[in-house]
Amino acid sequence: MIEAHSLTRRYGDFTAVDGISLSVREGEILGMLGPNGAGKTTTIRMITGFLPPTSGRVTVDGKDLFEAPREARRQVGYLPENVALYTEMRVSEYLGYRARLEGLSRAEARQAIPVALERCLLADVRDQIIGTLSKGYRQRVGLATAILHNPRVLVLDEPTVGLDPRQIISIRELIRELGRQHTLLLSTHILPEVELLCDRVVIIDRGRIVAEGTPESLRQSWMGNPSVRVDLKGAPEDAAEALAAVPGVVGVRPDGIPGSWVLECEPGSDPREQVFRTAVERGWVILELARDRGATMEDIFVRLTTHDATHDAATAEAPAPAAATEEGEVVS
Amino acid sequence: MNGFLATYRRELRAYFFSPLAYIVLFFFLTVNAFVFIYLVGELSNPASGGGTPFSYFFRASWLMLLLIAPVLTMRLVSEELRSGSIEVLMTAPVTEGAVIAGKFLAAFTFYASLWLPTLAYGLTISAFEKVDWGPVFAGYVGVLLIGALFLAIGTFASSTTRSQLLAAMMTAAVLFILFLVGVFEGLVDNDVMKKALGYVSIWNHIDEFASGIVDSRRLVFYLSGTLFFLFLASRALEDKKWR
Repeated sequence: MIEAHSLTRRYGDFTAVDGISLSVREGEILGMLGPNGAGKTTTIRMITGFLPPTSGRVTVDGKDLFEAPREARRQVGYLPENVALYTEMRVSEYLGYRARLEGLSRAEARQAIPVALERCLLADVRDQIIGTLSKGYRQRVGLATAILHNPRVLVLDEPTVGLDPRQIISIRELIRELGRQHTLLLSTHILPEVELLCDRVVIIDRGRIVAEGTPESLRQSWMGNPSVRVDLKGAPEDAAEALAAVPGVVGVRPDGIPGSWVLECEPGSDPREQVFRTAVERGWVILELARDRGATMEDIFVRLTTHDATHDAATAEAPAPAAATEEGEVVS
Repeated sequence: MNGFLATYRRELRAYFFSPLAYIVLFFFLTVNAFVFIYLVGELSNPASGGGTPFSYFFRASWLMLLLIAPVLTMRLVSEELRSGSIEVLMTAPVTEGAVIAGKFLAAFTFYASLWLPTLAYGLTISAFEKVDWGPVFAGYVGVLLIGALFLAIGTFASSTTRSQLLAAMMTAAVLFILFLVGVFEGLVDNDVMKKALGYVSIWNHIDEFASGIVDSRRLVFYLSGTLFFLFLASRALEDKKWR
């Protein structure tokens, strides 16, 4: 749906976005993840046509954003990072204005406005003045205007920023709902959001893409060896030795608390059953036996976007070759 | 066209919903009323030089534009730049030109509506005396043309900055220079210079309009000037994107 080809944006000497290429596929929810200042908003502004790139090009549904701006823009609904609304207008009036601005005819607008109000759960406040609405409601008004002209793609820049936890949950639900009918590009620096909402993730740091894939595949490729945590009652003395002898275990290290161990395992192996049997044989009491979930998106994110020499080793081991080389450049 | 109409309607309603507009309206009508009452009083004195109240009225009341135009236009684009609503506006399928035209015409419509109540002056006079409507009509054409130019200058200033105050100051500065042209015209003794200044002197123009002359050179001057500044405004808006 959206194809961005090596977008670059410089502000004087500063390169905010450095050759980002990405494509948003029909029907998917693509998450753009990155720390603050990574270039997410700049990228999104170039994709929505607000900011011309220094170089590179964008097509929406095959239409070039600069050669056919009107046609391309019509396909996109955009919720900017700071939703700026005309605060003196009523919700329905504002939607009416936006509908006309998007090129809907009066009749089309009359049909589209109640639908948008309904979908964004705004029907109750349709006659309220926007200035009196809470931030969560304003965000929904922003979303409602973004879907008014029934665009094929929605671009949402940090849609949950500045909301309270309950508002965040309701906006997320709304986004998931919208994702059923629209292709979605979503930027955020909140990790759980990506795992909850997105089919695919692009991680951006310092204006470059450092990793790309489904949350699942990213997790797998960055996970490293699986591990098992075991907590034994009374901290038996020969535990470390005995646990190391369990088939599939390649290393044992204490986990801080006496009696608690982390067993590093061969990829693909699950030694929990053997650990249990060993414990039974020796008369140990297992208080806890759990497989580590492996890397979370958070681990991956921190690893990719922390600029610290000590992370070199960690990234060098990473089995995702493309991302690893990218990262190597960034770190060095 | 859609973009233009949507912008025009939204801006016009923004005027009528803002307290500032009513303050302007109040100020404008109060000052005009005093000027008019004073003129009627003076001119009804047999010892006065004669003339109709209207011929003097326009010559005096256009000066208020120096204050009104900056105030009416300062918000137009600056506010969008400041709040960030420019982002949704510029990613909608509308052109900069349509947005600027819509905003300017809304300002002009509001400005024209300021003059509407002054029609009552003419009607009041006509109840007592015969009114020569030609010069009155020409006077209105004059103040509307001058207003269009001033509002276009204001629209341009507003589209260059996110600060309303700065926009108002820039507009006021430019208008003040235009105002001074008429003063300097009387001071210079270089003939060419005098002629050039005279051509752009708004004092001269309003004198003509108020005495019932609608000169096509003036029409060209004001209309082309207005379009020129609106063009600059739309370029300034476009330029905002590139920075």
